[in-house]
Amino acid sequence: MKKLIALLLALTMVFALCACGAKEEAPAAAPAAPAEEAAAPAEEAVAGSVYYLNFKPEQDEAWQKLAAEYTAETGVPVTVLTAASGTYEETLMAEMGKTEAPTMFQVNGPVGLANWKDYCYDLSGSELYSHLTSDSFALTEDGAVYGIAYVIESYGIIANKALLAEAGYAAEDINSFETLKAVAEDITARSAELGFAAFSSAGMDSSSDWRFKTHLANLPIYFEYQADGIGTTTEIKGDYLDNYRQIWDLYINNSTCAPAELSAKTGDDSRNEFLNGEAVFFQNGSWEYGSLSAVYADEDLVMLPIYIGAGDEANQGLCTGTENYWCVNADASEEDIAATLEFMNWCVTEGADSMANDMGFVIPFDTAVESPNLFVKQDVAYTAEGKTPVSWNFPTMPSEEWKNVVGSALTAYAADQTDANWDAVVTAFVDGWASEYALLG
Amino acid sequence: MNNKPTLADKILPAFLGALCIVWVYPIIMILFNSLKKETAISTNTAFQLPTAESFAGLENFVNAVMSKGFIDAFVTSLIITITSVAAILLFCSMCAWYITRVENIFTKAIYFSFVFSMVVPFQMLMFTLASTSDMLKLNTPYNIWIIYLGFGAGLAVFMFTGFMKSIPLEIEEAAMIDGCNPFQTYFKVVLPILKPTMISVGILETMWVWNDYLLPYLVLDRKKYSTVPILIQYFKGSYGRVEMGPMMACIILTVLPIIIIYLFCQKHIIKGVVAGAVKG
Amino acid sequence: MVKATKKWWPVFVLPTVAAFMIGFVIPFLEGLYLSFCKFTTINKASWVGISNYVKVFQDAQFWDSLTFTASFTVVSTVLINVLAFAIALALTRGLRGTNLFRTVFFMPNLIGGIVLGYIWNILINCLLSILGQPLIALNTNAGYWGLIVLMCWQQIGYMMIIYIAGLQSIPNDYIEAARIDGATSPQILFKIKIPNVMPSITICMFLTLTNSFKLFDQNLALTGGDPNHATEMLALNIYNNFYARSGAAWKGIGQAKAVIFCIMVITISLIQLRATRSKEVQQ
Repeated sequence: MKKLIALLLALTMVFALCACGAKEEAPAAAPAAPAEEAAAPAEEAVAGSVYYLNFKPEQDEAWQKLAAEYTAETGVPVTVLTAASGTYEETLMAEMGKTEAPTMFQVNGPVGLANWKDYCYDLSGSELYSHLTSDSFALTEDGAVYGIAYVIESYGIIANKALLAEAGYAAEDINSFETLKAVAEDITARSAELGFAAFSSAGMDSSSDWRFKTHLANLPIYFEYQADGIGTTTEIKGDYLDNYRQIWDLYINNSTCAPAELSAKTGDDSRNEFLNGEAVFFQNGSWEYGSLSAVYADEDLVMLPIYIGAGDEANQGLCTGTENYWCVNADASEEDIAATLEFMNWCVTEGADSMANDMGFVIPFDTAVESPNLFVKQDVAYTAEGKTPVSWNFPTMPSEEWKNVVGSALTAYAADQTDANWDAVVTAFVDGWASEYALLG
Repeated sequence: MNNKPTLADKILPAFLGALCIVWVYPIIMILFNSLKKETAISTNTAFQLPTAESFAGLENFVNAVMSKGFIDAFVTSLIITITSVAAILLFCSMCAWYITRVENIFTKAIYFSFVFSMVVPFQMLMFTLASTSDMLKLNTPYNIWIIYLGFGAGLAVFMFTGFMKSIPLEIEEAAMIDGCNPFQTYFKVVLPILKPTMISVGILETMWVWNDYLLPYLVLDRKKYSTVPILIQYFKGSYGRVEMGPMMACIILTVLPIIIIYLFCQKHIIKGVVAGAVKG
Repeated sequence: MVKATKKWWPVFVLPTVAAFMIGFVIPFLEGLYLSFCKFTTINKASWVGISNYVKVFQDAQFWDSLTFTASFTVVSTVLINVLAFAIALALTRGLRGTNLFRTVFFMPNLIGGIVLGYIWNILINCLLSILGQPLIALNTNAGYWGLIVLMCWQQIGYMMIIYIAGLQSIPNDYIEAARIDGATSPQILFKIKIPNVMPSITICMFLTLTNSFKLFDQNLALTGGDPNHATEMLALNIYNNFYARSGAAWKGIGQAKAVIFCIMVITISLIQLRATRSKEVQQ
């Protein structure tokens, strides 16, 4: 019995000690939190701070650098958080619910704006807006400016000229869907001998699928809008979906891998194939210039329009436009809004050089510095030749959900290219468009 | 068991041994692939051992630790787990003791709310919990334990009360007569008796907090902190690529400490699980 | 003694109850309220009555995910329990290496859902690729069975441990006596072992049922709901409604789904509670 009591006492001592430790820790931690809370707003009240939720993973490093520069210069803290590819909307939703919400975020166009309008600060009086070269780059509604585009981009089919020459062709030979198809199919037929494929993999992993479910899908939408003379619709007819199928067939059947494997191919896979000389063509945009120019000289690269066998192909240019509109959080504190407006303005003035050279952006502001981006120059050249750029109509797509459903259907079709599976793509495209718009209304 | 060995007794060990190999195979496979070069990792050759050509040594591990923020995430996970489990063990056991010893309508109500909270799925409150904790600034690894204490209180209080009911009152009464106040009585008399239950609850809560993904993902300040599960989830789709090598290295680095701890404390863990399940 | 203790509530009960308020009660009630609202962030919620609930029942994806979840839950519950019980039987025969087997089978249980999901995602994709089948993101069947295999791998060890504890608590005399009376092995199994481990069976059934029904991490990491929401379970569907769908309407719908989901889980638990109670009376 004595032993038991001794043991009990010993245990008690140990636990008492532990308990003391824990006890002290607990009250110490509790006041620490309010203290922090008190300190944080006090700091903000002095200067205001910026929290930018960035959409573009490719430019994450450049943004971090630019933000650090700004903080070093002005002392205003700037946080840049980049959402993982395909999760911008999700991250924005989560972050906007917080007290330290992003002060600066972006929407993709009128449809995106509809969701976030209540949270957008009117930018019409801002200095940034005064630098904007054209009102067509602003999202306006009832005289208020809710979003300002900060980058104009082009995309098309990037081609490796050297490989093209090896196969016996030149970039000039490709001026319509028919010629593109002939070249691609010829390369596929001789791929064993040539040692490369026509197209880099049209990966449908979330890091890459936007190239097809969004960017490529722009073309049938564009031609339908052109034919009907409209700029947006809640009911798409899908008149050009056969052309969409043609080009998709061409991509997936003349590629570096079997169509069934596309679902797991990533954006990196596709780019690496192009960089390693395994493929001649790579559908992507001017934002890729940075990674491509690290390997290829400007003379080796060319961006061709995406021909789908519709419209006036002789005068078709690159797809040029924007889906990146900066917005300022109207719910942020006044100081933060002021700080954010100043930061945005600084980016396009003092930071214009970095935006052009580090990020490879063409910015629609009168302060813009000429970008060394080859693809941007080509876009200008095409337009000068009298070709009409294809406008970006995918901001009128009803929702992310619509894109995802179309993407899934495309992937399923790639794995098993039957008419029934293509019908599923058409259903997702046409019926999905109407039903998703119905949900918005 | 004094029955003669039957045929089944001879085949069974072989069968179970084979099953064991199947059981550990997924982890072994990830381990082998994490030792391969990034370019050599492909779906077709995943089942092969690394060859001299594809062997990358610890390159992926170094990469994961140096540039992918694994250490930060690991430390964050560790801080969250230790503070949360300590808080749950201390406060919930105290609460459980009080509500078993003082029986009135309030303690009954509290007890039933705790039991109710055990059943409610996290999705029910994920959005509102994220905003509440954000409003109160409970979004750092140092104070997120308050959220874990609140959300995890149900199971812990339930298990502790189940055990407390079996402690004889006499010991506590003796302590009180000797002049201890309830606080002293609790720490000197009750807590030592609770040790086995503490271990059970501690193990169950550690398994939950350490592996939890969604709660810290929604609650933590994402600009500054991430936990190990968040980091692994972020590998997919971030920056336009899936870096299989470092991702598999991270998986191995996450799994390895768990397996080592498990091999050392197996007895406690298995006992804890049984106790938890039987009470739950 | 009770009187003396009573006054000490601020020390004993307050910390836990305060945290419980923050971490459960307030969010729970707020969530209940928000299920009748349209909102993007909480400070801008507007009351819309039961229209969210109406929309939930009109949402085809809700029914699809409910069917998928139900079918997954039933199959995984049955498989896990049958296999775990079989292994537990084998491991209570006093074979050599029992401890090693037990250690190995239990291990996956300690690994988190996200990590498990990715381990199996890699493994299954490799297997499918070698078989020339579409990968898991495209393959509803592979996704479904992948989830089941994953759950078995994770949960069998845990249930096995509980069954072993149950089997070991059967007094040896029962079995000996039955043997002497000439009972065959199957008879012993069905007449003695199974009735005596009924409490363990109820617990395991309940645990696997709720675990499968509430599954989230594994679902997110293994299939992410692909292809086209076909392998999306209820919890993931709710999460996607909240965070992945744009438009203010969806958050209210997501919250309403969460309330319905919550009611379903509570119902399952109540049925379970009743089942255990009636068993306890018998013993």
